[in-house]
Amino acid sequence: MVLTRMGDGAFVKMTESEVRKEVEAGVEEAVKKAKCSPLTEDDIKRLIEIICEPRKFVSVERGNELVLTYDSQPLKFTRLGLPIAMPQILQTYERGLMADTLEMAYVHYSAKPVKMIFPEEQYVVAETLLTTTPALLYGVMPNMPMYTKPDGPCENASELLPKGLIKEAQEAQLEAADLLERDLLLLGEAMYEAGADGLDLDTTAAGGDAEFYACLRAIEKLKERYPNMSIEVGMAGEFVLGFHGSLEYKGERLAGMYPHDQCRMIAKAGGNIAGPAINTNTRKSFPWNLARAVTMCKYAAEVSPIPVHANVGMGVGGVPMQITPPIDCVSRASTAMAEIGKMDGL
Amino acid sequence: MIDEKLLEEAKQSVLDGDKELAAKLARQGLDAGVDPVEFIEKGFVPGIMEVGDLFESGEIFLPEVMMAADAVKEAVGILNEAIEASGKKRGGAAKVVLATVEADLHDIGKGIVASLMVANGFEVIDLGRDVPSQKIVDTAIEEGADIIGTSALLTTTMTHQKEIEELLKEKGLKGKIKTMVGGAPVTERWQKKIGADGFGENAADAVRLVKELMGKKTN
Amino acid sequence: MAIVHSQASGMGGVRTAGDLVARMQLAKSMRLNDAKKYVADKLGVGLLDLTDEVVMREVREELDISTVYMGYGAASRGIEAKANIAKLLDIEINCVEKFKNKTGMKF
Repeated sequence: MVLTRMGDGAFVKMTESEVRKEVEAGVEEAVKKAKCSPLTEDDIKRLIEIICEPRKFVSVERGNELVLTYDSQPLKFTRLGLPIAMPQILQTYERGLMADTLEMAYVHYSAKPVKMIFPEEQYVVAETLLTTTPALLYGVMPNMPMYTKPDGPCENASELLPKGLIKEAQEAQLEAADLLERDLLLLGEAMYEAGADGLDLDTTAAGGDAEFYACLRAIEKLKERYPNMSIEVGMAGEFVLGFHGSLEYKGERLAGMYPHDQCRMIAKAGGNIAGPAINTNTRKSFPWNLARAVTMCKYAAEVSPIPVHANVGMGVGGVPMQITPPIDCVSRASTAMAEIGKMDGL
Repeated sequence: MIDEKLLEEAKQSVLDGDKELAAKLARQGLDAGVDPVEFIEKGFVPGIMEVGDLFESGEIFLPEVMMAADAVKEAVGILNEAIEASGKKRGGAAKVVLATVEADLHDIGKGIVASLMVANGFEVIDLGRDVPSQKIVDTAIEEGADIIGTSALLTTTMTHQKEIEELLKEKGLKGKIKTMVGGAPVTERWQKKIGADGFGENAADAVRLVKELMGKKTN
Repeated sequence: MAIVHSQASGMGGVRTAGDLVARMQLAKSMRLNDAKKYVADKLGVGLLDLTDEVVMREVREELDISTVYMGYGAASRGIEAKANIAKLLDIEINCVEKFKNKTGMKF
């Protein structure tokens, strides 16, 4: 029997043929939802091997290693209750945790509040750059809902839409998108002037298609001004929520875009790395979720003109939705994304 | 028996968000002598359920969901009048109090759930976000709600969902007012642990859950 | 999470050549295999050497581009290492350019 888990982290025992059925169903679901190519039979066999491996920890074969970019590194220590200064946290990631890139981030992590304190953040970035070696990005969540009532000046589409006020909701989103775009430009410029290698926009499009639109426009403008700026874009979910529904960027409707299209659009705007986020279904098994996530990510990597770094963590990339994601699942997801998904990084 | 073609047209009018056509079909059905309850349940409701599924897979978007909701509202309004006039009764539409729990400012997911619930004809009292547990329970009592639905995006705030269960127990209302929980870190495992009545993986799942809980409700 | 990924699939950061490959992805949008080949060619090592701690420590010390060891006499670190990395990989590193502008140094 194979000891695996459910999407909520609970252990479950399956036979190898049950694992295969789950994997095949996960692939099928990905193809149906994202309209992407399925995994090959060889991919499926390898994925089953990875899942059924009796050892607790699984790793890639030598030569198949990939790049690891981490988001919001200082926050990870804050959450552990370790009161360490931000430059030291990044040094720890560099020298102790083998990070390939570094990411400075303010504890709130949303663009709007960072705007209020960006000179202080510039100082920390500049200070850290003197003593660290890998590329250092400044990370923020666009978090467009921060610009809507009661946090901001714009009307809240979440309240307008249930009332059937569609046009008003769309206008409010465009207004918020405009404010977000301005703040992203401000922050991008500030951090690049402080010496950072660039920006990481994390959980992009959490507020829907208008948020994605604002981010793409901001990336385009930042790259016009600073062609050497590096920009990574991590997504919030497997498809772009259609809160506005009809917004287009460079002639393509953003709502409903799955990872492969998200990566293409990020590349079109000038982004350097795209990070798809495939949601875990907590009621389905780990084999089902991982197969589904790898299928969508592999196709995204095939069509993307830029590197693809899948999000693989709590509740995304096949990993169970648990604040302490189980090592057995994370190591398997990490391995499968590298060897089957052909990711450029995670 | 209602003509299959009429049922299919009713469903399609909802999928197309065509309010005028939905109303026309409702009247056409009544003129042909169909059972209005059956017409709602087999024609318009499947339409709005499919709308929910299409939304969940990113094939249609919230504005289209709301247009579909408008179409259902129009048709069901006409058919409900006929139901009342005939003295018959349709199973009561659920009354749901929705909120994002205290200290949690994330209301996008809850907003989508509210939209789909409204689209399905439920009465939704949306208390917004960062709502204290006591206020949620008090409102449910005052409004005579059938269900309390709460959303939490943070592992640090989901504990308030447990608080609501405890408040309902204290007031002897556990089981009378059903509870459903959702949100990114929330799982069925958590729902069972705190004793909530249901867990919704996504908005379409939440709609199905309301229907299921209404079936189980004991007053 | 960082530890699990770094052991399961990571290149190894400054312990090996992970940071250099990452730089090429970020600076030039190079896909993984292209970035690995570019870095290996610039360092004059084979692809498998890029994740070999033994080879890469020696290479990094020789090229003065930082290692995880920061004791006295260690290879260049921080901004010093990045100035060397920019030359080695033939890319502009933003903070190195700023450092040059502020100090008037040319290298």
